[in-house]
Amino acid sequence: MAQLYLDTLTGGLWKRIPPFRLVLGLCPALAVTMSAENGLGMGVATACVIILSNGVISALRNLIPHKVRIASYIAIIATLVSIVEIVMKAFFFPLSQQLGIYIPLIVVNCIVLGRAEGFAAKNPPLLAMVDGLSIGIGYGLSLTLIGSIREILGAGTWFGLPLFGESFEPMSFFVSAPGAFVTIGILLAVQNLYSRRRGEKFIQG
Amino acid sequence: MSEITRMVLVLSVIAGVCSAALTSANYLLAPYIDQQTDFYVRGPALARLFDTPAEEVLGNKVVIAHGTGEVPVFFIMEDDQVSRLAVEAVGTGGYGGDLLLMIGIDLINNRLTGMETVSHSETPGLGGRIEEEGFRRQWRGLSLDQPVATTTEGGTIDGISGASVTSQAATRGTNAALDFVRGNRELILAEIAGL
Repeated sequence: MAQLYLDTLTGGLWKRIPPFRLVLGLCPALAVTMSAENGLGMGVATACVIILSNGVISALRNLIPHKVRIASYIAIIATLVSIVEIVMKAFFFPLSQQLGIYIPLIVVNCIVLGRAEGFAAKNPPLLAMVDGLSIGIGYGLSLTLIGSIREILGAGTWFGLPLFGESFEPMSFFVSAPGAFVTIGILLAVQNLYSRRRGEKFIQG
Repeated sequence: MSEITRMVLVLSVIAGVCSAALTSANYLLAPYIDQQTDFYVRGPALARLFDTPAEEVLGNKVVIAHGTGEVPVFFIMEDDQVSRLAVEAVGTGGYGGDLLLMIGIDLINNRLTGMETVSHSETPGLGGRIEEEGFRRQWRGLSLDQPVATTTEGGTIDGISGASVTSQAATRGTNAALDFVRGNRELILAEIAGL
């Protein structure tokens, strides 16, 4: 039993780490990771939604009729996202202004619906929440990593702190949209190369 | 119970619970959101108008019902008397939509103390120059009794070149605020005294 929880908890950190292994949730990963702070904020917001939605959906899994399950999941997820958005506006106003439209768009983040359908609908609430926590942490770490790389190379700062001297000329390419594709592409390639060396089975298509 | 009734029932219950949760979250957190909006959106304009850190004036706020909406009014006291007000005003008909302005009013000397932009979506470099000190400075010291107008309309304000629509939206907003204060002066002072 404990082994099951431990496996679920660590699953999201490497075996199922989004967006690299699941290759879901790429839209926010590309769009909001201009800086490490934005990446972390988006990751935390998404993690909260996944944990809560997994918990609620798993608790209701035997009540919701199979035919209307997706509609029910979306209603629940949309509510949770709106609540997270309200909470962010009330307590982290500058961050919510920075992330803007991407906070409400967590509703259509495939990771949330994917975990609801793929895990929460088949497992008890506590385990589902552990899975949400693990996937959420994995996603938060990935977004912070992407954001850090783009911010360090593209702006010469990390979490807003200047890293290099005055003479450093930042490659502003990395903070613009194409930089996001290049960064994520390279990270995916590195990750695949490492996995192949270790002889792991690939999950992504 | 037939399958279809069950589906309808479960979905309705979920939707009902969801809207209840949302309503209560909105209701419970509204004061915090107002506080944050005041601090981050109105704060900078207020700090410039009153020449004090925003934290000190944000608490001095009354909300006056006016027409269909509500007008937030900030104030500052000197010697137990309300000396200056900052009234939020909407400059209708800007080039990129309505301008949200903050109009400073000196009640003792019967003068305007300034005009600040809270938020706008004017074209950068044209109407966006409404943020520039040089343009806004022209409001300082104007009388409360006369409507503000641009030079093309027979007033004293030199409009921003290439952005007369924005300039006129700003004067329109100012005049709306002046009318509002003229018509509601007693009410505003009573509200402040009642705090």
